[in-house]
Amino acid sequence: MLLLKQKSRQGFDYLYGQYSGALYGIVRRVITDEETARDVLQEVFVKIWNNIDKFDPTKGRLYTWMLNLARNTAIDKLRSKGEIMQGKIQTGEDIVYKQEHGLKTEQQTDTIGLKAIVADMQPEHKTIVELAYFKGYTLDEISKALDIPLGTVKTRMRKAISLLRQHYNS
Amino acid sequence: MDIKEYIESGILEAYALGALTEEERTRVEADIAMYPELADELSVIETTMHKLADDHAVPPPAFMQEQIWNAINPGAEERTAPPSPPASKSVPLIPEDNRQRQPSWLRAAIWAAVAVSVLTNFMLLSQRNASREEQNILAAKVDSMAVEQQQLATVIGAYKKELDMQADPAMQTIVMRKEGDSRMAGMVYWSKDKGEAYLALHNIPMPPQGKQYQLWVIQDGKPVDMGVISNDMVSKDGMVQKIAMTVASGQAFAISIENEGGNPTPTQVFMVGAV
Repeated sequence: MLLLKQKSRQGFDYLYGQYSGALYGIVRRVITDEETARDVLQEVFVKIWNNIDKFDPTKGRLYTWMLNLARNTAIDKLRSKGEIMQGKIQTGEDIVYKQEHGLKTEQQTDTIGLKAIVADMQPEHKTIVELAYFKGYTLDEISKALDIPLGTVKTRMRKAISLLRQHYNS
Repeated sequence: MDIKEYIESGILEAYALGALTEEERTRVEADIAMYPELADELSVIETTMHKLADDHAVPPPAFMQEQIWNAINPGAEERTAPPSPPASKSVPLIPEDNRQRQPSWLRAAIWAAVAVSVLTNFMLLSQRNASREEQNILAAKVDSMAVEQQQLATVIGAYKKELDMQADPAMQTIVMRKEGDSRMAGMVYWSKDKGEAYLALHNIPMPPQGKQYQLWVIQDGKPVDMGVISNDMVSKDGMVQKIAMTVASGQAFAISIENEGGNPTPTQVFMVGAV
């Protein structure tokens, strides 16, 4: 943390070494186009670098802050480039469609989504996490896109996270 | 608030997944700040999200590290060899460079500010002068209006006094007329009990040069001098003036034209009115 606030090359190398993979992982799951994803990753690091002074450790964890920054920057890019990249990026409906197919065919769930290792996770839970976290859907939007009640969206989110929790703790 | 129910609802997960609107997010953050149990639960959720992110990490292409560093630290590109030591040296170079450049734009900015200030002051000054002139003109107008108003008030006061006297039942009104000219009138308001009399003139021309009007009361067929009428009073049409002498009795009032200063007996009668 101190190294980061000094804004030295050492600090940057540490930051990059520790987090670039996770941040790029999130960005790539939001944006499939590699070149755009790289631009976004750069943007994310610039933002982290410029705002590290303002980061308040008492209010949250650095990792969470950076992950959210990466996720939000990627989603903003996805939305602003929505038209240009339509051919390259799957829309929310596409994912839903694929998930539904996945239910039947048990295939191709891994192209943009969560790893297949989360095997005990039902597609209905996976889809909700993907729509929210990687596509930036709000509760209301998910409720409408999947045609399920708002309360159900939230409880499925809770279920999904608790499944992940179990998975990583075992 | 039922903390357990709140946690079970999945709103914290929705928060961590970024699925809340700005408004909802603010509310959840307030709840978290208030209830430590919620903060603890969120912390567990966040840890899961960290593990998820770790698990799904994708290493970026190797060149990205240098590219991003260059983007973060402009000027670092100039140096090709060892990154660390020159990097720390190059940092102060930028401010120094800026320091030299600063005065030129700063000077320009100051000159621009001074120019604007001078111009503004000049404009304000000329505006103030103009408004002062206007103010003087207005003040003069107000003065002349005040004078006019005073004059009007005097006239109105005179008329009102005359009306009051006409309305007073104890007051006798005697109208003196000039033969052959019904427009001219000399009004005498006479309170016989008090011996007080007032005179008002209407549409009476100024007397010829060197002449003056003189008022008389006819007592038992003999004219008694009531004093000369000032030309000032003739000019102030309708003004009521108290007659200086006591009028105890009389059958008629008259005005004559006399030489300036008056005459013991009337020589040229101008108008007469019987009581």
